[in-house]
Amino acid sequence: MVRHLVAVLLTLLIVAPAHAAGPKRIASLNLCTDQLLMALADPEQIVGLSPYARDADRSFMAEEAKKFRLLSGTAEDVLMLEPDLVVAGRFARRATRMLLKGSGLPVAEFDIARSIAEAKADISRMGELVGHPERAAAANGRIDAALARARAAATGHARTVLAVSRRGWVPGGQTLTNDLLNAAGLVNIAPKLGFRTGGFASLETIVAARPDDILVAGGGDTPEDQGQAFLLHPALTRLYPPARRIVMPERLTVCGGPMLADALDRLAAAAGRLPP
Amino acid sequence: MKADGRTRAKTFGAAAALGTGGPTLALTAVVLVLFVGSLAIGPVKLSPLAVAEALAGQGSETARIIVQEIRLPRAILSVAIGGVLGLSGAALQGLLRNPLASPALFGAPQAAAFGAVLAISLGLVNVLSFALPIAAILGAFLSVFVLLAVAGRNANLLLLILAGLALSSLAGAGTSLAMNLAPNPFAVLEISFWLLGSLEDRSFRHVALALPFIVVGATLLMAQRQKFRVLALGEETAQSLGVDVERLRLLVVVGVALGVGGAVAVAGTIGFIGLVAPHLMRPLVGWDPAKLMVPSALAGAGLLTAADIAVRLIPAATDVKVGVLTAIIGVPFFLWLIVRERRALGGGVS
Repeated sequence: MVRHLVAVLLTLLIVAPAHAAGPKRIASLNLCTDQLLMALADPEQIVGLSPYARDADRSFMAEEAKKFRLLSGTAEDVLMLEPDLVVAGRFARRATRMLLKGSGLPVAEFDIARSIAEAKADISRMGELVGHPERAAAANGRIDAALARARAAATGHARTVLAVSRRGWVPGGQTLTNDLLNAAGLVNIAPKLGFRTGGFASLETIVAARPDDILVAGGGDTPEDQGQAFLLHPALTRLYPPARRIVMPERLTVCGGPMLADALDRLAAAAGRLPP
Repeated sequence: MKADGRTRAKTFGAAAALGTGGPTLALTAVVLVLFVGSLAIGPVKLSPLAVAEALAGQGSETARIIVQEIRLPRAILSVAIGGVLGLSGAALQGLLRNPLASPALFGAPQAAAFGAVLAISLGLVNVLSFALPIAAILGAFLSVFVLLAVAGRNANLLLLILAGLALSSLAGAGTSLAMNLAPNPFAVLEISFWLLGSLEDRSFRHVALALPFIVVGATLLMAQRQKFRVLALGEETAQSLGVDVERLRLLVVVGVALGVGGAVAVAGTIGFIGLVAPHLMRPLVGWDPAKLMVPSALAGAGLLTAADIAVRLIPAATDVKVGVLTAIIGVPFFLWLIVRERRALGGGVS
């Protein structure tokens, strides 16, 4: 109910563009707005993307992003570009956004999507902003179809899962990851461990809680830093061999966007396995 | 002449060893208690019985994994690292005949971290390969070597501390820069690891990585202990008694580098154990630098293990780094030492 209200409010907040074509030149300051922009806008509309847009690990459309110019993420080059619209995240680079707004540029801010519903609302909003609501509706339709497939695939006996990132970071109950897991019929045990938005779980806590599977971002086996070494600790690798690790690349879950359809399909495949 | 000096030193040693039995035994007991405590304490509450069962390979699988694979390596590392840091401090203080000498003040851990981070950020190694401790050891060796070269033979206190400060600042800045330049989006978190030090969630792979170097380094340092006693009589006297001071200096630097480098490669920089441990032991075992070595190692092991238990008991949302705790204890201690040394040197205290 609340989610619907949020979605409705977000849609109401959008000042519907009078002309169907939308703004001509749009710059993005955030990895997630990059994804929405590339998915929904015409290539000619995009004048610049955030510095991480081409990072293949985190950016779903990293390949696509090579076509566009990368911005430094600071105010200077955005001001030089004089775009018609700047899209940005609500949390990072506050000073940059203030400066841009102060200089009279229209800045549309997007919150971090904490659920599939919020992600869909963001897609609709971006669709309106760029003047292509039909593309947004199609993207949301694909997510709904993936949701239906995931529900159909979910077996009666739900597997318990804990999403574990580097250094033991665990996304909590009020996160997109949690919503995705639930949608696929998997039970995220993070809320039960007391994580609301997220936090660091010690190795001992994970071993003691013993979920059926863990959700990890990569299948890599060389730790480039101590944060990754956490996921390769013998206690975890023995309890969770590759067969018990659901690999979900970060680029599928870090943002709310059209890529959620792929994320759901992956989870549905994992949930279809019977618990041992 | 040389052989004569050695025999004499050995005779001294045998006589002196008698006096340290009591404190050494007591310290060993304390370290053992802390080691067991380190196995019993963690985020998951386990009863002492469950811990004992898990150690013996009985009990639930969960408890076995927690005790044997998570807590045991951590406890072994804290004892080994604390021990070699205490030993390094005592050795450096013996070598320089200066109570303010210690690996951390010489920038050795910071330089070791820089060596390790450089190797990682250049993409040469990953954090579980043997090249990592070797890179860290090279960093530590370089810093102590440069420091001793800068400070010269009759190391003046002020010179040592200033040179050490410069070296550790440089190495710390280098570490940050190397992490920032590496294509690692988590650089800030990783820098905090290398500069603050932690033993959280280590495994036996880390033990295997560090322990060989720590053991060799500690053995090397222990083998020099009689020479420190002779050296206490002054460099010329030591020379005439058959101690090759240049060689001794090199061996100590190598020993410290091996110990500190191995430690830093798996735990990041942990400071001030090497400074504090020998000082705590001096009132107990006297001023003989040879007698000080084993108790200092034990005190270091006990201090670090106690600190590592404390970080698990402090209620905090995210883990407190053990290096933070040792610095919080160590720096005021260091200040107090400076004040005391100033008095001892008659350095203008009214």
